[in-house]
Amino acid sequence: MRPRKTRRIWKGGENTPDSSITPRQRILRTFLKNRTAVIGAVIAVCVAGVAIFSPLIAPYSPVRQNVRYRFQPPQGAHIFGTDFYGRDVFSRVIYGARISLLVGTSSVLLGMVLGTAMGMVAAYRGGRLETLIMRAVDVMMSFPDEVLGIMIMVALGSGLFNLILAIAILMAPRFARLAYGPTLALRERDYVDAARAVGCSDIRVLFRHILPNIFGEVLVMSTLWTATAIRLEANLSFLGLGVSPPTPTWGNMIRTGLDHLTDAWWVSVFPGAAILVTVLAFNMLGDGLRDIADPKLRT
Amino acid sequence: MRRFAVLALIVCLGTFGAFGAGKFLRIAFDAADLKTLDPHLAAATMDRAVVDMVFNGLVRYKPGDISAPFEPDLATSWEVSEDGLTWTFHLRPGVYFHPFEGYPDGYELTSEDVVYSLQKAADPGRSAYAGEYTGMTFVAVDKYTVQVKLEKPLPPSLMLPKFADYAGGFIVSKKAVEALGDEGFRTHPVGTGPFMFKEYSPLEKVVLVANPRYFRGKPKLDGVIVYYMPSLSAREAALETGQVDIIEGPPEQPWVEKMRAKPGVVVDTFGPGECAVLHFNMSKPPFDKLLIREAVAYALDREELLYTVGPDIADPLCSPVPPLLPGGLTCDEVGPLRYDVDRAKAKELLAKAGYPDGFSIEVVISERAEYLIPMQNIQAQLAEIGIDVKLKVVDHSSMHTLIRQDVNPMVLYVAWRPNADVFLTRFYHSYSIVVTGKKPDTNFSHLGGVDADGDGVIETIDPLIEAARTELDSERQVALWKEACEDILTLVAAYPLYIKKFVYARNPKVDYGYELKSTLALYPQINELTDIAG
Repeated sequence: MRPRKTRRIWKGGENTPDSSITPRQRILRTFLKNRTAVIGAVIAVCVAGVAIFSPLIAPYSPVRQNVRYRFQPPQGAHIFGTDFYGRDVFSRVIYGARISLLVGTSSVLLGMVLGTAMGMVAAYRGGRLETLIMRAVDVMMSFPDEVLGIMIMVALGSGLFNLILAIAILMAPRFARLAYGPTLALRERDYVDAARAVGCSDIRVLFRHILPNIFGEVLVMSTLWTATAIRLEANLSFLGLGVSPPTPTWGNMIRTGLDHLTDAWWVSVFPGAAILVTVLAFNMLGDGLRDIADPKLRT
Repeated sequence: MRRFAVLALIVCLGTFGAFGAGKFLRIAFDAADLKTLDPHLAAATMDRAVVDMVFNGLVRYKPGDISAPFEPDLATSWEVSEDGLTWTFHLRPGVYFHPFEGYPDGYELTSEDVVYSLQKAADPGRSAYAGEYTGMTFVAVDKYTVQVKLEKPLPPSLMLPKFADYAGGFIVSKKAVEALGDEGFRTHPVGTGPFMFKEYSPLEKVVLVANPRYFRGKPKLDGVIVYYMPSLSAREAALETGQVDIIEGPPEQPWVEKMRAKPGVVVDTFGPGECAVLHFNMSKPPFDKLLIREAVAYALDREELLYTVGPDIADPLCSPVPPLLPGGLTCDEVGPLRYDVDRAKAKELLAKAGYPDGFSIEVVISERAEYLIPMQNIQAQLAEIGIDVKLKVVDHSSMHTLIRQDVNPMVLYVAWRPNADVFLTRFYHSYSIVVTGKKPDTNFSHLGGVDADGDGVIETIDPLIEAARTELDSERQVALWKEACEDILTLVAAYPLYIKKFVYARNPKVDYGYELKSTLALYPQINELTDIAG
């Protein structure tokens, strides 16, 4: 996932730095020039819109059963067909976006707050605390995501909140690593020393002087990791460790359809496609934002 | 995946050629390996199947129909003393055990073997069914006569099943068990049945060969090979390619439909299967109120549930004891106690009970399809009258632990029990109440321990169950059981849902030799009459 579109931005003379525009405008322009990021953003916004307005979009209730219409193939009344219980797959995919986005964003947000704080504190304070935090981070990162996710979910039990918590715990070490390096470098900078010299508290130094300098990168990575979190949610739901039935999630929809994949492919394929599109969108958006945030590309 | 399945199959059937010469029937079970072939310990389907072919009981269920009267097996006749305390079984002379080391021609079955076998079945350390024989003593009167002495009289309907071709009733060879030891007997069973144990290849198969001295005549088949194939796709491929003749299927409607559509495949569904019943916890709100239980009963559509699990593999069940057993009631007999779906009435009852907008409950349920699928349908049906059922999905053994700790407001339980007495005692006798009963078991409704209808008196069917247990007149006994069933339904302590049958697919050339309606052997019984055409 190396920057690809950036070279073109640099080639054109129109992109030479212009002192008349503000940095914010420049970022927006760069963003709009990055087609991948724009497409990713548009799709992500659409998915978010679908999630928010799902009661208006979905033609049927996602949980209402009508077993006599089990496994209807995609057709007029049910454009994505019906599942084992005769529920409308299209409506379930629409409602499924809610859980996917809710879990994806809130777990990353929680992981971001926890992890960034851990990384910054470890780098800033140093000493035993640093060893303790960073070795714990190493241990956690040595497990594959899915394995650790399963362990945490089995310990916590299934349910929406526990699912968010589990993925947040998985995400926190990544953010800790991300925040740790730059904080280590910033700690030595003169302006930080100056802030300390005038009597700023550690918390104030961390929040007012260090955090703003690393926040851009954290934000960019959080977009990328949202895609990871959505995928993890689907994986854990697929294993039956996620949200309780009948709440539709893309992961548990694929799971329930799997037994009948040869006879009723639509039950699994449509939620699978929804995951594909959403994860792709967040990846494109994150990639694009990373290009923009890359200091080498800023003048 | 398919390629792996075929590869696994080739490996599985690698040694098949050795037995290809004779007329061997090949049956594949959904299991990775056998657990034990000791008939007094065997409980899983694949083990009960082998045991059924190798052993006999004193009496037997009619092949293919458990509701028919008992037939003679190793005993040709039996009688009971006037006080009902002594049962005498007259053994069939000239029945020989299969050959084993030291006895190349086997040896003749005598009362000594029968007494030894029954004592083993009654020993909790050597049998999983010892509880059935509590308080019984076994006496060998002469070479061909065995007496069973009881502490309390038992009616034939409860006595004979203990001595039939099922579980503890299978008669083992005394000399073989002593020679091989209990441990050795688990993988080398020696009985009197139509097929003799020949060899066992772990994780692969058991080979049985025809018993030429079988007392009902030499089997039509030369033998039976039991394969252990846990992969459904491997079993399907094996059946379709003619590598096996019968396969165990999953009891799922879509699978039945899929297999029926294939040429050269016949699907058999048969009983008794397992009874799915919804038990209401009457010891705490909201189901402590009769009105609410009635509301739920009227809200549930048995037809829809039946359709969810599959009309080909399930029959409606309207009575706590299935109609297949003496003491059970058919849906017609149950009449208004079926609580035919009427959601308007259900809502009315809810409002009358003080919950016009419904309520919310949390229910722990197993992740297994046989529990989760019907429970999700129940959840959707109850949502129609405003009852919000939150499901907490846990693994199967956790559910069994939790429901016995009385955590659920309602419990879905799927099980088979051998007779009305066991059904009623274990699910509805006050002794069996979970946690607080004298012998806590599976009385999830607390019937017999709570005031079920709000009249200030504790309702119980204990006297009916106990009276039926010792009632020697079978008509009066059945009447008592039926009365108990009606009481349970009147109080809505439980709502019977359906009875789910077993599913097997076979090559149409296989002829079982009898009409297959129901069997306690849990597989389509293979006996001396079973044959393969061509």
